[in-house]
This record gives sequence, C-alpha cells and structure tokens, in this order.
Amino acid sequence: MNRGFLAAISVRRRSVLTIAMASFIGLIAFGWPFAVAPGTFSSTQTPPLMFGVLLILVLAVVFAEIADGGIDAKAIAMLGVLSAINAALRPLGGGTAGVETVFFLLVLAGRVFGPGFGFALGCTSVFASALLTGGVGPWLAYQMFGCAWIGMLAGLLPPLRGKAEIAMLALFGAAGGYLFGFLLNLSFWPFSVDPASSIAYQPGLPLAAQLHRYLLFDAATSLGWDTGRAVTTALAVVIIGPPALAAFRRAARRANFQPAASFQPPPGPRSPAAAEVRPREVTTPGL
Amino acid sequence: MIEFDRVSVRYQGATAPVLADVSLRIDEGELCLVIGHTGSGKSTLLGAINGLVPHFTGGTLSGRVVVAGRDTSAFPPRELADVVGLVGQDPLAGFVTDTVEEELAYTMEQLAIDPAAMRARCEETLDLLGLADLRHRELRTLSGGQQQKVAIGAALTAHPSVLVLDEPTSALDPTSAEDVLAAVTRLVHDLGITVVLAEHRLERVLYCADKIVYLPGDGSAAAGDPAAMMELATICPPVVELGKLAGWQPLPLSVRDARRCAPELRARLPARPPGAAAPPPGQVALAAKGIVVRYGPLVAVAGAALALHRAEVTALMGRNGSGKSSLLWAIQGSGRRDGGTVHAGSEGADPAALGPAAARRLVGLVPQTPADLLYLDTVGAELAQADKDAGRQAGRSAADLLDALAPGISRGGHPRDLSAGQQLALVLAIQLAAAPAVIALDEPTRGLDYQAKAALTRLLADLAADGHAVVVATHDVEFATAACQRVVVMAEGEIVTDDQAATVLTASPTFAPQVAKVLAPLPYLTVPQVAAALCAVPGPA
Amino acid sequence: MTPRARLPRALHPVAWWCWALGLATAASRTSNPLLLVLIAAVLGLTVTLRRTQAPWARGYRYYLLMAAVVIGIRIAFSVVFTSGPEAAGAIWLHLPVVRVPSWFTGVRIGGPVSAQAVLSAAIDGARLACLLCCIGAANTLANPKRALRVLPGALYELGVAVTVALSVAPQLVESVQRVRRARRLRGHGTGRRFAVLKGIAIPVLHDALERSLLLAAAMDARGYGRTCAATAASRRVTAGCLLAGLTCLCFGCYELLDPTVPRGLGAGGFAAGAALCVAGLVLGGRRVTRSRYRPDPWEWPEWVVAGSGLACAVALSLNVGYNPAALNPVLYPLHWPTLPAVPAAAILVTALAAAITPPAAEPLSRPAVGAQAMAEAST
Repeated sequence: MNRGFLAAISVRRRSVLTIAMASFIGLIAFGWPFAVAPGTFSSTQTPPLMFGVLLILVLAVVFAEIADGGIDAKAIAMLGVLSAINAALRPLGGGTAGVETVFFLLVLAGRVFGPGFGFALGCTSVFASALLTGGVGPWLAYQMFGCAWIGMLAGLLPPLRGKAEIAMLALFGAAGGYLFGFLLNLSFWPFSVDPASSIAYQPGLPLAAQLHRYLLFDAATSLGWDTGRAVTTALAVVIIGPPALAAFRRAARRANFQPAASFQPPPGPRSPAAAEVRPREVTTPGL
Repeated sequence: MIEFDRVSVRYQGATAPVLADVSLRIDEGELCLVIGHTGSGKSTLLGAINGLVPHFTGGTLSGRVVVAGRDTSAFPPRELADVVGLVGQDPLAGFVTDTVEEELAYTMEQLAIDPAAMRARCEETLDLLGLADLRHRELRTLSGGQQQKVAIGAALTAHPSVLVLDEPTSALDPTSAEDVLAAVTRLVHDLGITVVLAEHRLERVLYCADKIVYLPGDGSAAAGDPAAMMELATICPPVVELGKLAGWQPLPLSVRDARRCAPELRARLPARPPGAAAPPPGQVALAAKGIVVRYGPLVAVAGAALALHRAEVTALMGRNGSGKSSLLWAIQGSGRRDGGTVHAGSEGADPAALGPAAARRLVGLVPQTPADLLYLDTVGAELAQADKDAGRQAGRSAADLLDALAPGISRGGHPRDLSAGQQLALVLAIQLAAAPAVIALDEPTRGLDYQAKAALTRLLADLAADGHAVVVATHDVEFATAACQRVVVMAEGEIVTDDQAATVLTASPTFAPQVAKVLAPLPYLTVPQVAAALCAVPGPA
Repeated sequence: MTPRARLPRALHPVAWWCWALGLATAASRTSNPLLLVLIAAVLGLTVTLRRTQAPWARGYRYYLLMAAVVIGIRIAFSVVFTSGPEAAGAIWLHLPVVRVPSWFTGVRIGGPVSAQAVLSAAIDGARLACLLCCIGAANTLANPKRALRVLPGALYELGVAVTVALSVAPQLVESVQRVRRARRLRGHGTGRRFAVLKGIAIPVLHDALERSLLLAAAMDARGYGRTCAATAASRRVTAGCLLAGLTCLCFGCYELLDPTVPRGLGAGGFAAGAALCVAGLVLGGRRVTRSRYRPDPWEWPEWVVAGSGLACAVALSLNVGYNPAALNPVLYPLHWPTLPAVPAAAILVTALAAAITPPAAEPLSRPAVGAQAMAEAST
C-alpha cells in the first residue's frame, strides 16, 4: 500500500498473527449461537459471560502486542484526539434514530493511518466514550471488537483514489454499519428474548433454522436502527469524506510519522566560537 | 549549559537550511532571549535544544548541540525530559491530563520519581507559581495566563536545569502575558534556572535578559549583550526605538531607564505633536443603544451604547470578561442580544433581524480565532466561496482584496498553513468581499509579531480611508495607540469612557503606551509622532 | 471523631466494581422477584447516598430507563411472538392470530397469552434490568479517570490515549460551539443538515489534528515513552507467552465447534490460554517504568465494600443454609414467592456500602462546562 508516507502504527508480522487469532476468537464470541455444537453450554447465560471476559483478555493481548511494537507520541496523541472527537460526537447521534456518527471518522482514519491505527482507534474510541458517558459494561468488549474490525478493515481496502475511493469508503461504511448492528445484536440475542418466544435462541436447532430466527429478531429489533446507521455513515463519507480525507492526509504529512532524522557530526575539533562565545561584531549605528 | 557547535538544520524537502552554521553558548543561570521575525528559525533553534529537532520533526542536523553534557544526537527529547523543560505557545494543546495537580505530576510520573518526592515537588511548584488555589481546578476552565503558568509548573516539577519557552505569551492577552512573564523572570532570579525564551512582547522582559540571540532570517544567529543586540535588531519595543531615535547610549531597555534619559528630549520637543488634530469622523455607520447581553444569570453587556463613524478606527478596550466580544457579536447580529436597538448602514436596518447573509453586508466581524471561518482546502477555493456568498453586487472580489491586504499569498496553499497574520488577512478579505459598511475585529493582534502588527495598523488605516467604520476589540495598548483614533473602554458590561484616543491613552497610567510614559506630561503617543516633531524643529548641533 | 479512612474522599474504583459485579452475579443467580427487588433497593440507596456531581455520575437514570425498556420489550415480545396454541397455565387473553407468510415457518404472532408467560417474561426482564442497574451503579459510583490508573502496565498506551481523549473531548465540544457560531459570520445560517455539518466538522477536525501534533511534541518533551527497563530476552518471553496464550484460547474455541474433541481438552485450552495471556500481560507491564502520583488508598472501607459484594455473590452461588429452590420459585401453580433468609441477609449486607463508605468529596472546581454540555447532549 503506497500511501506516500508510513502508517501511523507499524504492524509487524507477529502483530498480524495476533490480530488474526484474536479475530478468530472474536468471530466465535459473536457467532457462537450458530456455530457451537449443541449441548456445549448448560445455560444460555454462560456463553455471553464467558466470551465477554475472553474478549476483554484478547483485546488486552492485541493492544499490548501492538503497543510493544511501538506507539510513539505522535500516534498516541492522534489516537487520543481522534477518540475524543468520536467520544464527543457519539452522544450527539446516539439519541436520534440510528444516526451513528462514530463510524465515518473511524473508516476515514483507518483508511489514512493504516490498519494498525484503525484497530487501536476502534478500541480507544469506544472505551473513551463509555468512560465519558458512564457506559462501561459487558457489552463494551463486543463494541470495541466490532469497531476495531471496522477500523482495521478500512485500512486494508485497495488503494483507489478520487471518486472511486469515496464510493468504496461509502459502501464499506454502509456495509460496516449493517455488520456492526448484526454482530452486536447477536451478542445479546441469546438472553434478551424470553426463551419461549418464537424468535428466541433455541440451543440445538440446525443452522438455517437458527439463522432464520435470528434474522427475524434482528428485523424486529434493530433493522431500522442499523439502516439509519448505514445511511448516515455512507452519506457522511460522501459529503464530508473528500475534505476530511484531505485533512487527515495533510495531518499525516505534517506529523511525519517515524521521521527520517539524521545527524552529521561537525568536522574537526570543537570550534573556538562555541568554546568562547563572542557576539558578532556589532557596529553601533549613529543617529 | 547549552552549546551549539556549528549547527545547521535542514528539513526534508526544503531547499534552504533553517539554521546555518550557528555557534553559540548559553551559560548556567542566564535568561537568554531569542528574537527574530516569524519564520526566522526561532522555533527550530529552541527545538534543537531538547532534540525535538530533528528527532521529532525529521530533517538533518549537522554540527553538535550539547545540553548539560548530553549530545542531542544520542538523546531523543524524552531522554532529555529531566534536564530540559519545554513550554509551547498554546498551553491547552499541550496538556495531557485535565486537572492542575495531575498535570503538574505528569512529567514526574514519566520519570518514575518516587511518590513521596512527587508530592513534595508538586506542593513546592504550586506555591512557587501561586497556583495553590487552583490545584483541583480543571485546566480548561482556567484563564490563558493561569494555563500557561501550569504548563511552566509542569515543566519545572522535573527539576530541569534548562527551561525553554517558545513564545509563551503569543496566544494570551496582555494582562495574562505580563503575569506569565513576571513568573518567568522570578524563576530566573529565585531558582537560578537557565531560561531560553522566544518572545515578541519584548517590552516586558528585555530589562532582565542577560543575553539576546538575534535571528535575522537568513539562517545565521548573532548572540550578545541585550543593549548591543538591540542596536542590531530590527524588532524593538517602542522604548528602544525612541532611544535609537534620540541617540541615547547605552540604549534604554525599560521605561525607567528611558525616563532618566528623557529630560533633554522633552525640552527639545514642542508642547503638542504637529498635526495632532484628528480629521473629523464621517457620518454614523452604526448606532447601537441600550445593548443587553446575558448568559443565564451572568450579564455580559449591561445597556451599552455605541456609535461607529465612517472613516474612523475605534478601539474597544477593557479587561477580560468586560463584555467586549459580546458587544461586537451583538451588534453584528449573530450573537445573543437580549435588549437594545442597532441601526446599521444607510437604511438603519437591524442586522439581527435580517438573517446572517444580509447581516454580514452591514457588519463584517472577524472573530478571535479567524481560522474558525475557513473550511476549504485551498486559499483560492475560500476566496471563490467568499465571492459566491457575497453575491455580485459587491464591488471588489475577495482575491483583489486579499492582494491589497497581504500580497503574495499563494492561491493553491492550504489556509491552515498560513501564518497568523496571513490567516487574519484572508478572513478579513472574505468578510470585506461582502462590502460591509462596518468592520469589527475581535482581538486581531493575538499571535502577531511587531511587523505583522504594523502591517495590520496600515491596513486598518486604509480601510478607514476607504470610508469603512472600523472597530477593534483589543488589549494591546501599543497597537491601539498606533491604529485607533477613538478609544471606548468597557468594564462590567458598561461603557466607562468614550473619547479621542490621545485623551484616553494619556489620561490613564494603565492604558498609556510606552512613549507616553517616557515623555509624560507631553502628549506624545508613538515614535513616528516624535520623529515628525523632531524633523519639524531644528535639533541641537 | 471521624477516622482518617472515612474523611470525605472518593472510594477506590475497583472496590465499587467488585461490589457491583458481586451484586450482579447474585442477581443472575435468582429469579425470585423479592430478592431482585431487594437488590434494586440496595443499588438505589447506595447510588442516592454516594454519587457525586461528576458528568459520569449523572447517568443512573438512563440505566433505570433502559431497565424499564428491557422489561417492557421482554413482556411485549412474549405477548406478540407467542409460543403457540399449546400455551399452558391461566390464560389471560386471546390475541388474534396473524397469518404469516410461509417463510416465517415456526414463528407465531398472536394467540393465547397466559399469565405465566407474561410473569416469566417480566421476571426474566427484571433480572436483566437488575444486572443493568448493577453496571449502572458501578459506572455512577466509580471515578473512570481513577479506574484508568489501575490498568496493567502492558496496557499503558491504551490508558494514555484514553486519558488524552477524556481531557480533549470537552474542549472539542467547546470548539464545535465556537465554530457553529462563527459560521453565521460567513452568512451561512442553519441550512441543510449535511452542509452545516461540513462547515462545522472540517474546521473542528483541522483544529483537532493540529492539536494532536502539538500534544505529541509536548508529550515527547515531557518524557512519554522513555527507554524501557525490559531486556530483549524478557520481551521475547512476553511475546511468546502472549502468542502461546492466544493459540491455546483459539484451540479452546475450536473445541466448541467440534463435538469430537473431548470436553476437558477445550476447557483446559481456555484455562491454559488465559493463564499464559495474563502472565504475558504482567511480564509486558515491565516495559514501562513510571510512578503514580497520589495513588488511591485501599483502606478498610474498600475491604468492606468489595468484601460485601463478593460475599453476596458467594452466598447466592453456594446454595448452603437455605433451600436452593427458593431462589428460582416455580410459576406453576401461581403463588406468592417466599423470601429465603440467608440470601436476603447477604444482599442486605451489601447495603453497608451506603453506610460505611466515606462521603464523596465536595468538588472544589466549578462544574465542568463542556462536560455538562456533553451530558446534556447525550440525554
């Protein structure tokens, strides 16, 4: 990916492996109602709890791994400030139907600053906004994972430019909005509906029937909401995307991540001028 | 303490080096003042002291910088944090935490200082800078001066041997700036710490500087004794310019020194400056009566009346929170107004009743942070948008106006890359494209150096000559003296004084410019006035 | 005389979280409405007595609202998406059956609604609502900025980024208000929503990005990221632990999918993986050497609060000293549930938190304007 400058957070091969394994665990944590062999869990209360704890641990490991590769002051300040924007934007959209303001910034920042940064930004944005609004809870790990994926995938999109880039990002934003809603719903579906209800999770059903029940649940609870999120994200990318991308690229250029600094020691011994400083000849101007 | 040995700095992609073959030494306990115009390499020189240049910025540094025995090529900035403390222009942007006490402790936490020692150092620093009452306050809620003092304190808690301050007062109003500079000079005297200070408010620090480094702008640097360097420098406070004009030796660096040299000059000067009679102001362009602005229980403007005349520049002065900004926003029509009437333009319309697009054709306002109005990618796009917004009934295009205000700004450049002065000119051009009769500027001198202020002064005079009514909210006495014909002083939302500039500025000791202080009781305000008077009378042989 | 530990101060955030999670565990163990009401009462009392005026402490009523919504949704779903004509128990009402398309197989809308179905949905909802309120209470009572300080060293960067975000966010809210006001000066009123957004978002974004560069320079100059004490060898061990841990966890997950793998192996994978990951995180923490300014004290009130929460969780999990059936009373036939003595006492003990904790310190600063605006915007 030739961006003309280095990514804000470099992702080493080891980090890629870590993220891949974490993503596998994350997929299971979200998708267990479809994937888990019947009879694995005694109660539908167990898996969300177990996976909630597991996801926190896995996220901690991924973040520690990325940080060990080096997040310098520039990247950390950028992370902090962009998370602040997201955290400040989130309450603005949270109240009105499905307007989700976090995604578009996440997509654009991931795009410009690279997948490692996108992943980290997804985590810190959700965490900061949860702390700010008192929204820390078991759902946090799921939200962090969802956003981290979106940010990371945005950084991995093909290197298009111009209108094609905006179209791609808008589509990706909309798809991401749906996917996020789909996954997040999935995380609380098993225990949020009365088990007797016909759209509830029922352990042991074949995949197709289970999926059918879930899609109905998803449609009944949050389809409108997710559509709102997808539409606002796509619209925001189309309208604010070009100048915002330009702003990000300008910032990346100015920040000069991992700068090439070089030193040339002075030739010969210490100069007398440094040893004994004399002001230059000062001529006293007459009036 | 600090040694530059044949240092040159060249940034990536730049054709010319910012610093070229600079050799200088700053000794322990010195207060070293770095002066030079915007873009002359002051920030690069300061950044090189703690290694930010080139470790953080990129680029090539040839030569050697040694601070307290550490060569910056081997020590990046974070490893120099215990010997060099750095304070930037905008304190709020550099804060990591959000309360005073946590911010003071942050550097120490990074240095892994023992908790008991940290506690003791924090308390010391709170007392040293007089911040004890603010210790639990949120940084955001402090005034600019208090914030800058916290930033200085946060650097001091690490007990550095060098404190580097890069224009610490450029974003502050004069009152806060004086507060900060007083704190800095006290540190030099009380702690014996080495201070390197880049500053354009020279009048407040010049008298206690031990050394001046002058950057003429070609990459070279000259260092030496303050009085000698002032002879060389093209940036001087009015008191030094007066000294140069009068040929005083050694050059006086403070009002007190100058006053002792002045009797002879006062004797030579005529009792009134020649041509002092101000031209009569034009007709009233805006009349505001009984303006009230309140935010909840807080009354910002309490029934102020203001008349602005064509062809006249009016200064709106007063301390922070006296209601200057609120009054400007209220008469422009975009801000809150809870009472009173405004009649603007030839038809006497009320801008607030017209909607934003029409209001700006009556009154154009340049806010405190002009960049808030800029949202496009290039200067050219901003200018084109301005013409579109103005509609085509206006006379001059924004591009013409910009070239008249500040020639040579590239159309393809990013508006955010402009200097503070150029940004101001751009926003002013955008506002002038709508051809308003009244133009209002809120604190325009923030971040401007002497040259940019002089340019702004000329610019406002031209606007007034074109028949605009200009009003400037400012704290800057020297600027108001040079630029304004009338001064309105506000306090607690009311207008206290409204009179000719010469009368107001010579009457009060707080508002008097340096020249007036030196030459009192003669009613001279500026160096050019004195120069003109000296030309008119034959000098002694 | 007030003992030192009870002088007005903020209780250690970890103590509040232990307490709240203990109560949440207790709530998840029972479907006895009397016990659930008791838990809700303890939460309400403690939050009322011990919350501060900080922005994060104003959110409890939203949790209450959300709790009510959860109960409502559960009841509504159980009524609308009924389990079918074979519904047992006392039938309250018959809803008209809606004919559904064929691809809706297995889903029934409408039909008979029994009292038991509604009650069971309501009680299940109440249990979830109780869990929500526990989390809400922890969020309200624990200071999040203080909680960040107990993050392990390996997550130091995460903590810094979030700390920065928390201090910059209110400034950005102010910056948005400033830019929004300034827009009128260019003659742009409140036009189309997105056009307005562009004129506001771009200057604020530029502002923020420029701020981040200044902040980075300041952080670098102030010693952020100084050389780590960890050796290359210890870093390799850390990385090895983390990778091995993740691999074990992956194996554990795989076991869930493949029923042919013996159960014990998967559980072992999870246990070993978690242990290795934790070890890696602890080792990784050595990367960062830094000290803490005025760390939060952990004194006897903290022990009591955290201990009471844990004790409550243990009492409701062990099923000792009372009839376990009393925790989950049956709905057939309908009858008034009994209140088991030991669990009730265990829940009441957690109410100690409202009584023995030090009162919240009076804030000396004037209320945070931006944060207030944010809290209001979030309503």
